[in-house]
Amino acid sequence: MTKEELKSYLESNYPELTYSESGKYDLLFIVEAQKLVKTCEKLRDDVKLQFNYLGNISGVDTTENYLTVYQIASISNKLRLDIKVILPHDNPSINSVQSVWPAANWYEREIWELYGIEIHNHDNLTRFLLPDDWDQGHPMRKDWDAPDFIRFPQK
Amino acid sequence: MAELRTEEFQVNMGPHHPSTHGVCRLLLTLDGEKIIKVEPYIGYLHRAIEKICENRTYPMCIPILDRFEYVTAMSCNYVFSLAAERLAEIEVPERAEYLRVIMLELNRIASHMIFFGTTVMDIGALTPFLYALREREMIMDLFEMTCGQRLTYNYIRIGGVSRDIPKEFIPKCRETIKTIDEKIEEYKRLLNGNPIWKARTIGIGKLSPELAIAYGASGPILRASGVEYDLRRDDPYSIYDRFDYKIPTYQNGDVYDRYMVRLDEMQESCKIVAQALDGLPEGDIRAKVKPNFKPPEGEVYTRIENSRGEMGVHLISDGTNKPFRLKARGGSFAHLQLLPEISKGCLIADLVAIFASFDVILPEVDR
Repeated sequence: MTKEELKSYLESNYPELTYSESGKYDLLFIVEAQKLVKTCEKLRDDVKLQFNYLGNISGVDTTENYLTVYQIASISNKLRLDIKVILPHDNPSINSVQSVWPAANWYEREIWELYGIEIHNHDNLTRFLLPDDWDQGHPMRKDWDAPDFIRFPQK
Repeated sequence: MAELRTEEFQVNMGPHHPSTHGVCRLLLTLDGEKIIKVEPYIGYLHRAIEKICENRTYPMCIPILDRFEYVTAMSCNYVFSLAAERLAEIEVPERAEYLRVIMLELNRIASHMIFFGTTVMDIGALTPFLYALREREMIMDLFEMTCGQRLTYNYIRIGGVSRDIPKEFIPKCRETIKTIDEKIEEYKRLLNGNPIWKARTIGIGKLSPELAIAYGASGPILRASGVEYDLRRDDPYSIYDRFDYKIPTYQNGDVYDRYMVRLDEMQESCKIVAQALDGLPEGDIRAKVKPNFKPPEGEVYTRIENSRGEMGVHLISDGTNKPFRLKARGGSFAHLQLLPEISKGCLIADLVAIFASFDVILPEVDR
């Protein structure tokens, strides 16, 4: 399946996914937060796709929203896909995809710790990258500042 | 005889345990010498690389990412440059692509040499460590000759490479890969039939292909479990489609197979380097890229086949000269969370063997 075929297949069979132009190399689709886990299950169990491999989850703070981006791949069909979820800036929360891909465990812990995005149905939300007694907020947020963190002048 | 009463107890392995290859604490729950539970505690090397990169221009990110995974710093340079090139749609000159492949594959061999030496040493044989570092030294000399550095290279840049190879590089490189190819045969003769080595590795830490895929394992660990998946072939990048090489795959998924996959891979890398040296064209080594590099808005996730599995960079650009978001993904992060799953019920000595066979490097986990 080529990229164009995958795109038209997803557009016709997955009405919950919306194509996004901002993905420059691989396909990028946006899904609503409530439909995330169901859609991921469907993508994994679809015989034509078999997205059984979760490569990475990244959190993003755009200062207006929080995003979580799921980089998934199919090992047997050699496909790649990005799925993006847009979350509100106040009290962001999302369901865990651990039931779909167990690999999500640590990636979600990291997002919870560094971005402060609440993860529901996660089995082990504890600190692991920051010190245990850390009380200075979520450092990957764009508005986070520290005394020794000097911003470069914008050119 | 009445049954012996046993009691569970907890032991900290690390953070400064030599077999954890860095600073990683494993909290073990034990029953005698048998492991009931392993909990990895990471973060001792967290340097906030991703946050620092958000505050640097694109060319300044490359030396910082060198420290992301310092054993294969070429891959770190490359995966970031590739992401920036895909965003800005830069065409890389032919010669630069060949030089990149040569450097990436030499770096893969150097990294697998470290794996071979330290794994065998962890399991109890010291001699191969000295052999492996002797051979790795030859590759380090080649890198030093090319870019002046032995560990953090800053060699692969956006649009090409930083400088051309010197004249004496090609004969020395041919000699090096020939020697290494012969030495790997020697390593195989030295270890593969050794009864102690076999007893310590065969059947230990078995990883089924289903579990490996579900937990996001990649690279040699996935291939040792019988899944033939190599990003160089299956998600093509650079010019790997021009070379003839095999993808070594083994079926059992134990420590022994993970070791064998890497030894075979080194020999395949030697083949790729030899072919790249034969085909090396003349020409430019760098595309024209403005010093104040500003890619257009957009996002991209690039992934390459590193010696420790899939290495990826998720790069988001907002049109300025600094990355809006840079997320670095290393293979070790996924592999370390797999460790508790497959080390249940084994002995402490086997845990050391399993940990070593995963070839986890902690700077890549903590970032």
